[in-house]
Amino acid sequence: MKSKQYSVKVYETVVTDELKFMEFFDSNYTLFKDHLILIQGSMSSKIKTYLKNKNLKYLNDIDLPKGRTRKALEEELKSEKVDAAVSKQIAQNELNRLSNQLQNNLTVLDEMVRSGREINIHGDLLLLNRVNSGATIKTTGNLIITKVVEGAIRCHGNFMMLTASPKANIVFHDVEVDNSLLEDRLNRVELKNNEIIITPVLKKEINWA
Amino acid sequence: MGIVIAVISGKGGVGKTTATANLGLGIAMNDKKCVLVDFDIGQRNLDMILGLENRVVYDMVQVMDGEANLKQALIKSKANENLHFLAASQTKDKSVLDSDKVKKLVAELKESFDFVILDAPAGIESGYEHTIEFADAAIVVVNPEVSSIRDADRAIGILDSKSAKVKEGEEVAKYLVINRIVADMVESGEMLRSEDILEILNIKLLGKIPEDRGVIDASNQGKPIILDKKSIAGQAYVRIAGRLCGQKVDMKDIEISDAGLFKKIAGIFK
Repeated sequence: MKSKQYSVKVYETVVTDELKFMEFFDSNYTLFKDHLILIQGSMSSKIKTYLKNKNLKYLNDIDLPKGRTRKALEEELKSEKVDAAVSKQIAQNELNRLSNQLQNNLTVLDEMVRSGREINIHGDLLLLNRVNSGATIKTTGNLIITKVVEGAIRCHGNFMMLTASPKANIVFHDVEVDNSLLEDRLNRVELKNNEIIITPVLKKEINWA
Repeated sequence: MGIVIAVISGKGGVGKTTATANLGLGIAMNDKKCVLVDFDIGQRNLDMILGLENRVVYDMVQVMDGEANLKQALIKSKANENLHFLAASQTKDKSVLDSDKVKKLVAELKESFDFVILDAPAGIESGYEHTIEFADAAIVVVNPEVSSIRDADRAIGILDSKSAKVKEGEEVAKYLVINRIVADMVESGEMLRSEDILEILNIKLLGKIPEDRGVIDASNQGKPIILDKKSIAGQAYVRIAGRLCGQKVDMKDIEISDAGLFKKIAGIFK
């Protein structure tokens, strides 16, 4: 199978007033001409022909996977007023689930991954050294890297643990992860309900030696 | 029995050949017999930098093919009688090298010299692989910039997988030389610091060489900069050659400019 992968900018909106909608796109056309327009809720044929004439690509009523910070998630949780005890139980269950999945064909590597090297792991990988610019790490399972990454990462596991890596190219389940969301400590990156959630896990840097 | 050292960099133009010429001469000045071999077949430069351009009669390829013997092809340096040179072929291309011939040549040179220094071509093609194949150690030359570091990283990776010594389960010693450091650019953050480079490449530091305007003229004249006792790059090569010959030479911090040093001293008296 051949496939390609893109990162696109998406503009998500709801049509309430058709005239205002068209006016908005007329005045901001240059800004949005390369965006994918995502319209939630109903849209009339008038809007459809308008977008077609403007040569704007659009999707209707689709839930796209997105990268999100812990903060955004916490706020959402707050607004939903989830009972504290229940959420704690959920967190505990989640932790148990993750720890069960960790020892799944685990490979442990303690070597520098130099430029030009590609490591393909079928299963989980624990890497205790740095990944240099121009190197690639691919895993079908979970991935933990304790040092800085400057190369590329392709992970298809349930979660990743990474430190701040501003130069890395990180793709998790075919979605590019925004490295600016990784804080200067270990961060857990996981996919939940089609969303990538990034959680900084340790306040202090831990010493693995 | 001598030691075989390959001088590598991955990227071109970082100063491999200049470093080879200067370190060779530095080693010779320490009363060790040293031979420099130019492996950059088809684009030889080392002969010019050593000022031996017009003395080349036979080249390395002719020796390997048995058209000339080693004694005929070795050229003695004008600057120091301990230093010898074996030129690359300028007319052939890299494909003439093969493992068995290189192995034989290197073994023969090892017999009669304390140091056999191989000047690798830029890039990571077959010419490079043949240079590192039978080396006991490698000197990695980099400039403090990202492209040079990444290419050196790749070159080290290939060294670690293709060297004959590694295939026998041993390790090839790797030493880093950071060339063309400009102190005030490091201070202002425009140039990579050597600590950062060492963290990325993770090999031992052999020495740092400051940027020196005299190097280009020295190369053009065929008189390596190490002969100029006043030049800062020449002094750096003297220190590195000393370390290669087993002397304990302290690392000089060339990443502090005179202005920066003055500020530091002024800070002490505050």
